[in-house]
Amino acid sequence: MKNMKKILCVILSLAMLAGTLSACVSQYVSKETTPAPTQAPPATQPPATGGDATQGETPAPTEEVSIAGTTLDVWYAVSGTSGELFTAQSEKFAKEFDVKLNLSYTGGSGDTATKVAAAQLNDTAPDVALMYAGPLYTGGKDNYDIDALIKTGSGFDINDVFEGMMDYCVYMGQGYCAVPYGISTQVLYYNKDLLKNAGVDMTNPPKTWDEFKTLLKDLKGKVGGNMVFDTSDQAWLFKSMLMQNGCEIIDNKDGEITPIFNNAQAVAVADFWHSLVTDGLMAAGEHGNAESTFLSGNLAFIAASSNRISRWNGTTTFELGAIEMPYFTQPSLALGGNVLVILTRDEAKVRAAWKYLCYLTNVENNTAFALGTGYLPIHKSALEMDSVKKAIEENEMYGVAFKQLDYTWAYTHFEQMGTMDTEIRSMLNKLEKNRGTSEELLTSAVNALQKEIDADK
Amino acid sequence: MQNEVEKPKKKGTVRLFRKEYRTNEVLVGILFILPTVAFLIFTFIMPVIDVIELSFTNFSMSAGTMKNIGLENYRYLLELKEFSNLAEFWDALQENDFWASMGRTALYSLLKLTLDTGLALFFAVMLDKNVPLKRFLRSTFFAPVVVPMVASSLIWMWFYDPNVGPLNQILAFLGLPQSKWLYHESTALLSILLFSLWKGVGYNIILFLSGLQNISDSYVEAAKLDGASEWQLFWKIKFPLLRPITSFVIMMGIINSFKVFAEFNVMTPDGGPLGSTKLIVSYIYEQAFTRGRMGRASAASLLLFMVIFVLTQIQSMVNAKKTIDVE
Amino acid sequence: MKGKKIKNTTNLDRHYVAFAFLMICAVIMLFPFVWMILSSFKTTMDVYQYPPRWIPSVWNGDNYAKVFEMIPFLRYYWNSILTTVVMTALQIGISILAAYSLVHLRWPGQAVMAAIMRSSMFVPMVVTMIPMYLLVSSLGLVDTYAGIILPQITTAFTTFLLMSYFASIPQDMIDAAKLDGCGPFRIMTRVVIPNTKGAIATASMFSFLGNWKSYTWPLIITNDKMYRTLPIGLRYLQQESSMEYQVMMAAAVMTILPVLIVFVFFEKQLVRSITLTGMKS
Repeated sequence: MKNMKKILCVILSLAMLAGTLSACVSQYVSKETTPAPTQAPPATQPPATGGDATQGETPAPTEEVSIAGTTLDVWYAVSGTSGELFTAQSEKFAKEFDVKLNLSYTGGSGDTATKVAAAQLNDTAPDVALMYAGPLYTGGKDNYDIDALIKTGSGFDINDVFEGMMDYCVYMGQGYCAVPYGISTQVLYYNKDLLKNAGVDMTNPPKTWDEFKTLLKDLKGKVGGNMVFDTSDQAWLFKSMLMQNGCEIIDNKDGEITPIFNNAQAVAVADFWHSLVTDGLMAAGEHGNAESTFLSGNLAFIAASSNRISRWNGTTTFELGAIEMPYFTQPSLALGGNVLVILTRDEAKVRAAWKYLCYLTNVENNTAFALGTGYLPIHKSALEMDSVKKAIEENEMYGVAFKQLDYTWAYTHFEQMGTMDTEIRSMLNKLEKNRGTSEELLTSAVNALQKEIDADK
Repeated sequence: MQNEVEKPKKKGTVRLFRKEYRTNEVLVGILFILPTVAFLIFTFIMPVIDVIELSFTNFSMSAGTMKNIGLENYRYLLELKEFSNLAEFWDALQENDFWASMGRTALYSLLKLTLDTGLALFFAVMLDKNVPLKRFLRSTFFAPVVVPMVASSLIWMWFYDPNVGPLNQILAFLGLPQSKWLYHESTALLSILLFSLWKGVGYNIILFLSGLQNISDSYVEAAKLDGASEWQLFWKIKFPLLRPITSFVIMMGIINSFKVFAEFNVMTPDGGPLGSTKLIVSYIYEQAFTRGRMGRASAASLLLFMVIFVLTQIQSMVNAKKTIDVE
Repeated sequence: MKGKKIKNTTNLDRHYVAFAFLMICAVIMLFPFVWMILSSFKTTMDVYQYPPRWIPSVWNGDNYAKVFEMIPFLRYYWNSILTTVVMTALQIGISILAAYSLVHLRWPGQAVMAAIMRSSMFVPMVVTMIPMYLLVSSLGLVDTYAGIILPQITTAFTTFLLMSYFASIPQDMIDAAKLDGCGPFRIMTRVVIPNTKGAIATASMFSFLGNWKSYTWPLIITNDKMYRTLPIGLRYLQQESSMEYQVMMAAAVMTILPVLIVFVFFEKQLVRSITLTGMKS
């Protein structure tokens, strides 16, 4: 009884306090749809997050207006060599145009996304961000300034940019709301020493997954116990494979997203994936450990991001090689990595930010960044540049990564894309551990995703 | 301040809520608790009111939308598919991610609580004896507590690495079968448990040790004169006297093991093999940040709040009863 | 003291059994530290050698230098010390007042207060983090020490810990002080605090360690690297150096060494002072 009283007291006092204190989150979130349950006095509310106010009348940058003296807050999610090159280029821009840049490394993709999302809720987001899934924070908030700026045709030559890259800058299939920078695809790395010792010839690398699997089986017979293939990002690879087999993953009809990765083509891909495990070529559910297994020389092939080209170069205990990713019916690779977004809605800042983005993504700077990091150049003309040709000559792995540019592709950003990746990872985990047939597991993943999409309608 | 306190008449009393209080004690008591109240409002009550409010909405941080959806979040979390017998009920529980995570959390907490408290008490009793190198030993057991989580979990992930890790190497050397550690559903949770025992046991050792050293020698001597064995001495004298500390340790153990997150997030970021290490806070984190369902995450954390509340209530009731028994 | 002597003579050999057992456990406890120190001198080649290599092929200190190159380590260290010390001092100060008020004074609503305080420990940080962030950033405290410190002043744990020690102060002592004409404030400063110094030291230590490893909140509330603390530095280092375990290990060694030294140095006083808190009478 005494305890019951205590509990009651706690609940009562909480309720009392709830009544007297105005809650803080609700103040910051746009409430067009329905008012929040306990209403804070409307007078004290700052304006809602998304700037519906400026939508449509995007500032057109005119050459005459100087951007000197502007200050831009920039958050970026690339570290190591990439971070250094990015800041170096940014600082050069700042000097050249007399702009002040406050650059902050805000952690990896997850950390940065959380911070940006939180900061957007009360208008403290940075002016520019280099981040993963950027379109969610611009297009997702009806900010298509970049689309209008690209259309002005000044400073950013969209015709010279790979189409797949621009597809990576779209939200719900609408206009552009980001600019590609720090983009990557997966590359198939291999341990040259291991293959040489096993007597496997790589002069004619396998082109299709079937050819590759034959090679893996052959290799497995020669090296014995070890697993021979893995990937450090299974969802990414799986999505590429779906596309290679003609499954477009999601269907976007007038802004209505429907996941379709349980059709016949998808089932075939999942079956193939499963066979890699049952044939003892890929370990079940050890993707998190794939990189360290590969680096310790216990894995022959690994599908990993192209940015490892520069990171691993010269630090591995064995000679490192790379070949183009195999395919099913058509070569195709899902893009990953970062984009640049302009988050500010202040006209003068947008103007300066656009200058900054154009500077970073011009052919010269972007290509230098790509060569220094293993991220991909975004321009078609980059492949004709002498520096690129020279780099390919010196390190064949660059050649492999750049050759893949011809068939890269991206699906549109949508609110539940994080959920989709989670569902795909958990589906693959179950598949590898024989917790159901390909069809069952794919269908249940699709249904789970569909349920989440419907919940937002 | 001192003057203020001493000025009121010594005999001054007030009647509040049908009870008599000394006026100056009430004044000073409330004055002293004020800083706590201020910070509680700031760090607990205000955020929790928000969380309560959010739990009735579909608040998504990335989309910035917020719509009142009533009890939908709670329904989503608690709803089970239909079942007609116990086996089906069990299946239904496991199919609902929230219940499954809660179940795993309960299992983990039970293991952690028993092993952690048991080991800490055991080591504390050992360290309380007159052993050589006492200082060194005490520091050793405590040392893991000071290592930051990022660093210590990285070391252990390295240990657990099925290929380049030393643990499998040692197992192979001893002719024992090797393990996949964090990469197999049957061992992942236990691997993290082992790590967290290493990391946390020193904490409770210090608490128990301080309690043991507070036990008056006269009790021990009296028991010895009665011819009590070491074993009896512990169970009849020391253990009952340690009850306040034990109770504190268990209460904190329940709270902390139900709220455990960091090591699980670092060592198995995706919820581990077949979700075997997805505990409740990992579930909440996934909902909030991977899936962008802040509202649902808020509802789940309020349910977690209630679970911990009930458990600590039960614990304090049991403890109160036990204390009376002893007396 | 006499009791200990009796123990010594009667159970001499048994204690050596205990000692041997403890030593074995100590070796296991220390193994990760040995591994950490050894690894901090390895090269990438050593790290990924198979089968695992225990002793570095060459002892090089490059990894230590690299830590300083990659992150402003000393600045992070300073930030960590500053925020941790301030947080600990505030927490302990507030907790002493609260524990004294709850244990030795009588006023209405104490039970409710204690229940609310206990409840404050039940909510996981991952959900309160965002509301807190919005509140703190609307106060303009992003990238300030105040923004890091104030929201982390949670006192429930230390208050409960202190309460259990305060409660064990004999009532006669307090009554005697009252007869001498001491008011509540003086009883606290003259009787309670001097008699529970050890407990306060223990509480401070726990509070310090809790704050020292604090990670989630400083991560979200700082954007400027000048305000970041060590745990975040370590995380960023990990992201930055990716698979270079050895650099992380070097950073970890430098992070924990000072804390360990301080602990080893104060440990004796700490445990002893708890014994001397006058609770034996």
